[in-house]
Amino acid sequence: MVDVITLVERGVRKAEALGATEAEVYAVREGSLTVMGSVRGVEGAEGGESVSVYIRVAVGKRLSVQGGLVSGVGDVDTIAESAVKIARASPEDPNWASLPKRLGSTPTFDLVDSVVKSLEPEHFVELVKRALEIPRELDERAFASEASARASVVVKAVGNSHQPPVSCEQTVFDFGVEVKAAEDGFESGFHSYYVAPTLREFRLEKEVEYATRVAVETLRAKRVETGVYQVLLMPRVFSSVLGALLVPAVRADMVQKKRSPLARRLYSQVLSEQLTVVDDGAVPNMPGSTPFDDEGVATKRKVVFDRGVLRTYLYDTYTANIDNRESTGNARRVGASNTYPDATNILVLPGTSSLDSLVRDMSRGIVVHGTIGEWLSNPVSGYLNATVTHGFLVEGGEVKQAVKGVVIAGDAYKLLKEGLAALSKEVEAVVNYIVPAALLSSISVAGE
Amino acid sequence: MSLSLDLGKEVLGRALDRGADEAVVRLQERVYELIVFDSGVLRSYSVSRAVGLGVEVLVGGFAGYAYTSALSRDGVERAVERALKLARALSASGRGVRLASVEGAKVLYRALYSQNPLDVDPSEKTSLVRDLNRVAMGVEGVVSAVTRLACELDRRVVVSSLGAEALSEVVAVGVSNLSVARFGEVMERVGDQKTFIGGYENVRSFDWSAFVEDISRLATKASQAKTPPPGAYRAVVDNELIGLLLHEAFGHATEGDLVMYRASVLCGRLGERVAGDLVTIVDDGLAEGGYPVAFDDEGVAKRRTVVVESGVLKSYLTNRQASHELGVEASGNARAQDTTFKPIVRQTNFFMLPGDASVEELFEGVSEGVYLRGRSAMGGQVDPAVGTFTFSIGPSYIIRGGEPVELVRGVAVSGNILETLMSVELVARDLLVIPSVFGGCGKDGQMVRVGFGGPHVRVSKIVVGGG
Repeated sequence: MVDVITLVERGVRKAEALGATEAEVYAVREGSLTVMGSVRGVEGAEGGESVSVYIRVAVGKRLSVQGGLVSGVGDVDTIAESAVKIARASPEDPNWASLPKRLGSTPTFDLVDSVVKSLEPEHFVELVKRALEIPRELDERAFASEASARASVVVKAVGNSHQPPVSCEQTVFDFGVEVKAAEDGFESGFHSYYVAPTLREFRLEKEVEYATRVAVETLRAKRVETGVYQVLLMPRVFSSVLGALLVPAVRADMVQKKRSPLARRLYSQVLSEQLTVVDDGAVPNMPGSTPFDDEGVATKRKVVFDRGVLRTYLYDTYTANIDNRESTGNARRVGASNTYPDATNILVLPGTSSLDSLVRDMSRGIVVHGTIGEWLSNPVSGYLNATVTHGFLVEGGEVKQAVKGVVIAGDAYKLLKEGLAALSKEVEAVVNYIVPAALLSSISVAGE
Repeated sequence: MSLSLDLGKEVLGRALDRGADEAVVRLQERVYELIVFDSGVLRSYSVSRAVGLGVEVLVGGFAGYAYTSALSRDGVERAVERALKLARALSASGRGVRLASVEGAKVLYRALYSQNPLDVDPSEKTSLVRDLNRVAMGVEGVVSAVTRLACELDRRVVVSSLGAEALSEVVAVGVSNLSVARFGEVMERVGDQKTFIGGYENVRSFDWSAFVEDISRLATKASQAKTPPPGAYRAVVDNELIGLLLHEAFGHATEGDLVMYRASVLCGRLGERVAGDLVTIVDDGLAEGGYPVAFDDEGVAKRRTVVVESGVLKSYLTNRQASHELGVEASGNARAQDTTFKPIVRQTNFFMLPGDASVEELFEGVSEGVYLRGRSAMGGQVDPAVGTFTFSIGPSYIIRGGEPVELVRGVAVSGNILETLMSVELVARDLLVIPSVFGGCGKDGQMVRVGFGGPHVRVSKIVVGGG
C-alpha cells in the first residue's frame, strides 16, 4: 500500500504547480476487520483496506476541497487538478486568511493496540462467540440477539504549503451487544457498546452483564403519568445529551453564524457551578485522542466550562482567524469538506455523591439508562427532547416500576443550571466522553 | 482498471478459481458535488469521489467479505484472498450461512437526464446557490441561512455466480436550505430540501426563490410560536411526515436481518394484524417519485414488495440469507452504502398506499388535536425490538374545531408503532414519495439513499412532547 506522507507531499506540490497559493493534503490509510454474530452464532467476517485523500486549495481567497477513496498515487494529481480548477471558478471567501501556519503533535499514549492492529480474525471471533453466550448464562429470560467486534488501524498524515506533514498511527476497537429478554409475552432489549483505541480496559463480561441486567429489569416497563419529575441521567444518557446540545453550541462556527444560544455568553455563568467541562484531545486510550487535529494542528486540553462559566469556544483555524484567536486544535473534517471545529474528548468533572445515595434521596423521579432521539434535540434553541426507552420510576428512594415510552423535554440550559441537583462521584467512559451521572431536579415528562 | 461488467466477471472468475463455492462482486463509482453558501459566504465547494471493489465469498457454507479501494491487479488479488481467509477463519467456531438460491438480475438501469449536473459550469451553480442564500437571508427575522446544491452520480455493477450481471447509474440533483430566525431570545430553525432524480434541466425549470423564501418565512413564524403542551393527542399526520414515521418506526422492524436475530417487534408475526384495516404498506425499488433501486447489492432484482396488506403483515424485506431463514421471497433489499461495507437489509422506497378520503375529511370532527408536519422534521429513531419511536418534527399546528389554527414549534412525537398503526382512522388519497440527495437512512454505520412517502393519515392517539 502507498505511503500517506508521499501522497501528502505529492498533492501539495502538484496543487502549487497548478497555481494554488496554498494547498493542504490529508491522507488516510485504513484497514479494518469486523466480526458479526447473532442469536444463531458467529456468522460473518469482513475486512479490507482503503486509502483516502482530501485536498484543500486556496487560489487567493477562492477555495475548494476535493477528494475521496483513491486507487493509486496518480489519483492525487487528478484530485489536485480538479480542486484548483473549481477554486478558480469559485467566488472569494472574504473570511479566508490562511491554512494553519504551525503544525505539530501532542504526545499521546495508549492509542495503538497490537492485537487490534493485527486485524487477525481469531481473537475477535472468540470474543463475539463468548458475548453471545453470556446473557443466557446470567438469566434464562435473556439472549444476545446481535454482537459485533470491529478492529481498525488508521495511518494518517496531513501537511500544507507552510509546513511539512505530520503523521501518526492509531487503532480503534469497537464492540456492541444487543441483549433481548422475554417473559410471559413481555419483551425488552438493551444495547451496550464500548469504543476505545486499545483492549486494555475492555471487560467483556461487564458490558454484556450491564445489557442483560437492563434488558431483564425493564421487561415490564410502561409509561408513567404526564408530569414533572426528578430525573437521573446515567452517564451514557448524559453524554448523549451533552453531545446533542452542549457541544454544537460551543462550536465557534455555530456561534459565528448565530446558530448557538451561547453566542455573546463568553465568561458568563451558563451552567451550574457544579459543572466543569473539559475538552482534551490527548487522554490515554480514548477514541477522541489524536496527536493533531484534521488540519495538523496539535491537540490541546482546554476548560470549556469552568464551574459553569463559559471560558472558550472550540476553534479550527478558519474560525479562529475570524475571531483573531489561535486554533484550539479542534478541526474536524467529514469526507471532502472544509474543516469545522468539534469536540475531541469531553470530560465532565465528577460530583461528590454516590449513585446509590442519589437514588435513595429521590422523592419521585426516573432513573434513565437509555433514550432514543436525544440527538434530534435542537442545539439552536437549546431545547431537549428525548424518549426514554429504559428507565426506572423511583418513589421515596425505592424503585417502583420500569419505565419506557415517555418523552423528557425542556430547556437544557435551565436544566443544567438551576435544575442541576447533583453529579455522581462515579464516572464512566462512553466513547469520547468521560462523565458522571446527572440528577436534574425537575423536568417535564410526557407520558400517559 | 475501469468499472465495468467485464471487470466484475474477471474478479468473479478469480474468486471461484481460488476456492469460493459462490461469490458476489460489486464495483462502485460515486461522485458527489456539494456547494454550500452560509450566510452570504461560500463555505464549501467540494467534490467527493469514491471508487472501490467488494467481494463476498461462500466457502464450505461460511461467508467472508473483503473490499479495497485499489483497483490494481494486486489490490484486487488481496481482496479476493482476504475474503477467502475470513470465510475460512469462521469455519473453526463460526456458524455457516444458508442463502436463498435466487437467479441473479440481468439489468441495465440508467436514470434519464439531459444534462449531467456535474458537467454544468461551476460558476452557474455557485451563482444559483449564492442568489438563493441571499433570498433566504432577506426575510425579516432571519439571522442565518445555509443553502446547498448537491449533485450525485452513483454507478454500481454487481456480478454474481448466480448469474447477476447488473449495472445501474443514477444521477440526482437537489437544493436544500436551512434558515434560522430569532424572535427575542427564541431561535428557531426550519430546513427543507427538494431533489430531482435526473439532470440539471430540472434545476433550471423550478422556482427555487419561492422555495427558499417560504422556508425563511416559516422560520420567522415558528420563532414566534409557542411549544405545545405535552400530552396525548388525536393527530393528522401529513404526507411527508408519514413517510419518515413509517420508514423509521415500522420499516426497520420489517427488515429481515432484525427479524432473523429476533431483534424486531414483528418477529413471528407473519399473517397477524399489525395495523388498522386501512393500512397497506409496500417497498418499491422503482416507485414513481422515489429513489430508483433496480436491483440490490447481491444482484437480486428489486420489485414491489407488499409488506402489509389491509393491516395484516404479509412479508419481510430480505437479503438472500433472511429469505432462506424466514421462508419468504427474496425481496432484493440487500444494500450497502459503498464497497467498504457488506450489504445489509435496507428499505428502498417504503410507503403507505393511498386511501380514498380527502385531506379535509381528516380534519373534520377533530375538536382538539394536532396537525403534525414533516417539513423541517429532523428525523427520528426507533427501538425496533419493542417498537418505541421518537421523532423531532417540523413546525406544526394545534387543531381546534376541525381546523389547524395555531402554529407550534419544538414538537417531538413518541409512541409505539404497532399501537400507532392500529390507531389509523382515515387515509387520504394524496400519495407523495420523495427522495433526498442530501441524506438517507442510517443503519449500522451505513447511509443509503431511500424514498419516503405516503398520504395524509389521521391517528386517534399519539404522544407529543414539547414545552
